Amino acid sequence: MKKILAAFLSATMLLGLLAGCGGGSASSGAASSSSGSGAAASSGSGKEIVINYPTFQVGVNTSAPVISALVEGFNEKYAGQYKIVVEEVPGDANYAEKIQVMISTGSLPPVVYGGGYKLLDLALAQDLVVDLTPYVEADPEWKAQYNDASMAANARDGKIYASSMEGSLVGYFYNKDLFAQAGIDAAPKTWDEFFADCDKLIAAGITPMAMDTADGAWCSQLMMGAMIATSGDEGLAFMNTKYPTDYNQDVVVKAVEKLQWLYQNCTTLDAVGGAYENAANNFYTENVAIIANGPWMIGDFSDTTLVEEGFNEKVGVAAYPGGFVYDEPIEGMFVTKQSDPALEEAAIAMVRYFTSDEAQEMALNMQGMVPASPTAEISDEALSTFPLLGDFLSQAAECELRSPTFTSNMVPGLESEWSNNLPNLATGNISAADLCQILSNFAASAQ
Amino acid sequence: MKHNKIWIPIFLAPACILFLLVFALPLVLVFVTSLFEYKLMPNTFSFTGLSNYVKLFTQDPNFLPILKNTLVWILIHCTLHVVLGTALAFVLYKKPFGWKVVRTGYMIPNIISQSAIAMIFLNLYNASFGAVNSVLKSIGLEHLCHNWLFDNNTAFPAVTMIWLLFAGYTTTLVLAQLLSVDESIIEAARVDGASSLQIDFMIMFPLVRKMIGTTVIMAAAYMLQLFSMIYITTGGGPGVSTTNLPLYLYTTMKNRYDYGYANAIGVVIIAIGAVCMVAIRKLFRMNEEDY
Repeated sequence: MKKILAAFLSATMLLGLLAGCGGGSASSGAASSSSGSGAAASSGSGKEIVINYPTFQVGVNTSAPVISALVEGFNEKYAGQYKIVVEEVPGDANYAEKIQVMISTGSLPPVVYGGGYKLLDLALAQDLVVDLTPYVEADPEWKAQYNDASMAANARDGKIYASSMEGSLVGYFYNKDLFAQAGIDAAPKTWDEFFADCDKLIAAGITPMAMDTADGAWCSQLMMGAMIATSGDEGLAFMNTKYPTDYNQDVVVKAVEKLQWLYQNCTTLDAVGGAYENAANNFYTENVAIIANGPWMIGDFSDTTLVEEGFNEKVGVAAYPGGFVYDEPIEGMFVTKQSDPALEEAAIAMVRYFTSDEAQEMALNMQGMVPASPTAEISDEALSTFPLLGDFLSQAAECELRSPTFTSNMVPGLESEWSNNLPNLATGNISAADLCQILSNFAASAQ
Repeated sequence: MKHNKIWIPIFLAPACILFLLVFALPLVLVFVTSLFEYKLMPNTFSFTGLSNYVKLFTQDPNFLPILKNTLVWILIHCTLHVVLGTALAFVLYKKPFGWKVVRTGYMIPNIISQSAIAMIFLNLYNASFGAVNSVLKSIGLEHLCHNWLFDNNTAFPAVTMIWLLFAGYTTTLVLAQLLSVDESIIEAARVDGASSLQIDFMIMFPLVRKMIGTTVIMAAAYMLQLFSMIYITTGGGPGVSTTNLPLYLYTTMKNRYDYGYANAIGVVIIAIGAVCMVAIRKLFRMNEEDY
């Protein structure tokens, strides 16, 4: 009896072990058509193809309502043929990390949103991305969406790999009430005026800038990059260089010195170590007068869960001193190589739908997101819903100086190095030249 | 009895297979790939021998400060942290009033997730609204206010304080061992005229020596695994002033996509762990019988 019991227990344990190892393959039989990620499932020819779509644009994310509407619209349009199943990955950093890990294992979901995370280049390095060029060439409307800026973001070596769904025209916002209290009646046109205004705000007991150091120091790097871009031809050329390796340039060092001055004199205590959320909160609560950010923030100015009633009327928008705006379509969605051609086709249909002019116009009307496509129309409805957007777009139209952001051009991984060293710059532990040397060393080693 | 021996390997087989698949095989892969230039971008996989190790110890300006941070944290954790927990256990085993409340309460920070603890301290240390600066201001010490986690001078001690004081595991383990000591031994010591202090140091301490050694091993291992608290609070900054080896491994993999180099760091972590274990076992004579 003991022997039988022992044999039964052993067999049960071994079966449990084997079941544990093999369970995935049994349950993912439907997903075997994908390249191994199990991220998408085709339930057989003639049946609905399921596209598993991991995204961070869910929950409280600004783009969540837009993505939700697009998924609903796509599933309705392609009912019975294709179906998107959203996999929620809250937090963009978590999303980027998840995709990075999936890239390293060679198994990606059929559609990936590149965003500002340099995921396209990483996936391209592993030869995991579908070349969209023939599809774009065959579709005149799609082709018309690609201007120079869009090509720079989404094409490599003349081949189109991604499609943008939103543009990134970025200026800065200021609090008109706080400006008035400091005796400032208009946004500065030159950097000398800008720094003079900072002095006026400080003299009036107002903290001038919302700044940050964490997560790439989004707000801070915007202001600093604008200083580089408007410093002359050399600076503008630097800002338009993809993956620069030499940061030891006079124009960069000088801008970093000014950034250090801003950290030390013009911002809140929590800026050092703080992330974008801290900076935004300081602007919403009127602790600071200026924040550099894109038009997608405009919707928040009327959200009474974030700001006091009437806050939106206090906010002004401006291009950067020297007549500069950031102009860079956000790296778009790309399709990954799948073993099932039908799934690839479904993924291409999804990218086409999500990045169509209609989708971009809907995102504009819903959230004030600036379209990436030059053929998308800016509707009167959007301009009346978001008057600040109209104001900004007219100012941006007059700006001849444009470039991508300082951090978006960095080699992958450098953003984190930059972020980690900014607190030392802010506290004076390292100089601007030291920081530029650190960036150069990293960029050179990453080549 | 002989015929029963066949069941021993059968029952051990599942655990052994699991160990081989989940731990041994990845461990071997870590060792092997640390000898390769193994990068995600540009996509590279080529044998380079010990070059990752040479680069780590001779060319990487970050490695030695990070190694120092890790070793200092191990030292602090194995000494101050364990002494604190052991001292409290020696107070509690005498069962003073409220000892059970203290025992349970002191354990609470150890059962809260590390991420939650990190978030709590991130807010406590916040330069603008954090409790630490608020208390300093309220007692007239405004000049001592700092951006604790992001000033190079205070970041390391500020991060250390997040876990240094919470020695609940040490207290619980040592206390359990102290409470299991036969009462007659203490009685005999008292009859022989030993003072309370003499009983603690000359009777009880040697009796719980091995358990203290175990807690020191746990403390060292904890420091070699520590990640989320640092990642959430400072992210290893400013610079690398609060980066330890596990975080450096992660950032090397995540930011540089350099898996070979990251695995070389992993091998160094394993080597430090092995040296620590052997040293602690020797120091506490863990293999020797007392009586």
